[in-house]
Amino acid sequence: MHCYQLHSPCIPAAYQPALTLEFARNQELDYRDLLPGTGLTAADLAAQSLTPAGYLRLLHNLATALPDGDTAFLLGQTLLPGHQGPISHALLQARNLGQALELLLRYQAWLSPLLAPHLMRQGEQTLLYWTDSCVSARQRTFLVEMMMAAVSGMARWLSGQRLPWQYSFNRTRPAHPEQYAVHLGSQVQFNAYLDAMAIASHWLEQPWPRGSEMGVQMALAAAEREIGQQPRRSLLAAVYDYLHEHIRQSPSLEQCSAALGTSPATLKRHLAAHDTHFQAELDQVRTHVTLELIHNRGYSNEQIATHLGFHDANNFRRSFKRWTGLTPSVFRSHLFQLQASE
Amino acid sequence: MHLPYRHALIAMFLVAGACLLLYGSLGQAKPMAIWNWMDIVGEGGTALMSALWALLILGSRPGGRVTLLLAGGLSAIMLGAWVDCLDEFFSIPDQQLWDNWLESLLTPGGMLTLTLGLYFWRQEQWSLNEHMQKRERLFREHRSFDRITQLANADYLRRQLRLEQERHPGESALILLDVDDFHLINREQGQQEGNRLLQAISHLLLLNLRPQDLLCRYAGDRYAILLPAASAATAAAIARQLQQAVRGLAHHTRDGTRLRLSARVAWASLEADTDALLSRLDRALEGEPAIPEGGPAVAV
Repeated sequence: MHCYQLHSPCIPAAYQPALTLEFARNQELDYRDLLPGTGLTAADLAAQSLTPAGYLRLLHNLATALPDGDTAFLLGQTLLPGHQGPISHALLQARNLGQALELLLRYQAWLSPLLAPHLMRQGEQTLLYWTDSCVSARQRTFLVEMMMAAVSGMARWLSGQRLPWQYSFNRTRPAHPEQYAVHLGSQVQFNAYLDAMAIASHWLEQPWPRGSEMGVQMALAAAEREIGQQPRRSLLAAVYDYLHEHIRQSPSLEQCSAALGTSPATLKRHLAAHDTHFQAELDQVRTHVTLELIHNRGYSNEQIATHLGFHDANNFRRSFKRWTGLTPSVFRSHLFQLQASE
Repeated sequence: MHLPYRHALIAMFLVAGACLLLYGSLGQAKPMAIWNWMDIVGEGGTALMSALWALLILGSRPGGRVTLLLAGGLSAIMLGAWVDCLDEFFSIPDQQLWDNWLESLLTPGGMLTLTLGLYFWRQEQWSLNEHMQKRERLFREHRSFDRITQLANADYLRRQLRLEQERHPGESALILLDVDDFHLINREQGQQEGNRLLQAISHLLLLNLRPQDLLCRYAGDRYAILLPAASAATAAAIARQLQQAVRGLAHHTRDGTRLRLSARVAWASLEADTDALLSRLDRALEGEPAIPEGGPAVAV
C-alpha cells in the first residue's frame, strides 16, 4: 500500500516543521519548548524526519504556548509556497491559481500533509475543500484555519491582490470571529457541511505576474527526481479518492482494499488507527457527491438515488438524513438560502 | 528564578536560621508536653504566609523603592512571627531581654514599613494609570491584553461597546483602521518586523487620540478605536487624522529600510447590535481601493 499513515516518518523536519519552529522564534518563544513529544531532538534538526503524529504534536505544543486566536492564521500565512525545495519553486512560479491548486493537490504530502485538499466544480464556482489525512477532531479547527490561511495568503501574494474567496467552515461560530474577518475576509460562513473555500472559476485562469511555465516545468522535473518512490498521499486521502472515483459502483471494503493492494483486515485496522471506519468514509464521499449533484445538475432525489446505486429515493433520503442530520429537501432549501444571501 | 529573587530567599533563610541558633544556644528547650500547638500552628503559619507574600512581591515586581519596602516589611513580619514561634519551643531566662526586644520590634516595624510601601505603591499606581489611559476604560481585565501591542483585544472591545451603548446610547462612535499591505511586510521583512510595526503604530495611534478614547487591537493589523461622546463630525475628523498619521509615520526596519505606510479607515456611530456593527465595518474595509490622500473616510 503506497501511502503514508499517522506513524510513517515521512515529513522532513526541514520543511513545514521548520517553518513552525521559525514562526515560534519570531513570536519570541524558545523553539526547544515545542519539541517534547514530537520525536524531534534539538541537535541536528535538519536531518530528521517527523511522523504526521509528531507534526500534530508540534502544532499542539505551539497552540498551547500561544493560545491567541490568531496563531493558526499567522502560521498558515508562512507555509505556502514555503521553503521546500523544488516543489516550492514550482508553486512560486505557477502561471495562475488553477495551476497552483493543481500542484497543491498533486504534492499534498509535502504541502498539506495533515489535511487532504480536493477540488469540486459547483456551477461557475470552484471549491477547494479539505478532508482529514491525519488529524484528530480536537486539532481539526486549527489545521483548517491554518491551511485556508496558507492558500489564501499564497494566492494573495502571488496574484498581487486579495482574491474574493468565500469560506465555509464545518464548525459552530467561533468566539473570535474577528480573526476570520481580518485574516480571511468577511465572506465566511459557519455551521456548513464542508470546510471549503470557493471562488469564481475565471479567477483560476487569471495570469499571475511571476508565472513562468518553463520555470514550473524545470522545478517539477527536479521535484520528481527528489521524490522518487515516496508516498504522495495519506491512507485516508487514497481511500477517499478511490471511493470518489468508484462511487457509482457502491464500492465495498474488499474492492477498496484490493485497489490499494492490501487485505480487508489490514485496511480495517489502519482505518481504525485513524479513528474511523470504512462506512464513515463511504458516507462522507456520498455526502460530498450528493452536494455536487444537487448543485451542478439539479438532480432530484430519484436521480441521486440511481446515481449512487440506492434501491429507491426513500432509501436514499433515510441515508442522507443519517449522514447530515437533514433530509435532502431541507438541505436544498438551506443551500438556496445561502446562495441568495451571497 | 532570577537573581535578586534567589538572594532574597537565601537571606531570609539565613536570618531565620540565625534566630533558631540564637534561641537554641541561649535558651532552654521546653519539654514537648508543654508545647502549645495552637500557638505553634498560628505563628508558624503567619511566618510561612508572610514569607510567601514577600517572595510573590519580589517575583512579580521590578526592583525599586516600593518593591524594597513591601518585601522588607513582609520579611520583618515573617521574622517576628518566626521568633514568636521559636518562643514556644525554647524558654529564655527572664534576666535576658533581647528576645522581648526582638519580638516587640520586628512585627510593628515590619507593619510600619509595609504601610509606607503601600502608600508609595498608591502614588506609583497613579502615574501608571496615566500611562494606561486610552488603553483601558472603567475596568481592568488582564487576560484581555494582547501579547504584542499590550493593547486590549476584541473581547474587551465588545464588552466596552455594550457598556458604552447602555450608558450613553447613540452618543459614541467606533473607528476601525487597517494597515494596507501588512501581509507584504510580514512576508518580505519577516514577522518580527511586522510585530515591531504593530507596536509602533499602536504608539502612534495613542498619541493621536483624545484622553477619553480607547484603542484596542481588533485582530491582525486591524485596530479599533472607541470614541465616547463623539459626534459624526468628530469621528470623521479623528478617522482622517489617524489615517494621515499612519501615512506620515517614518517607520524604519532594523536594517534601516523605510516602510511606506498607508491605512484605510471606516467609522460608524454605535448601535445596539455590536456584532452587526463590527461586521459592517469589517466589510467596509475590504476590497475598497486605498483611500486617496485627503479623501473622505468611509462612513457606514
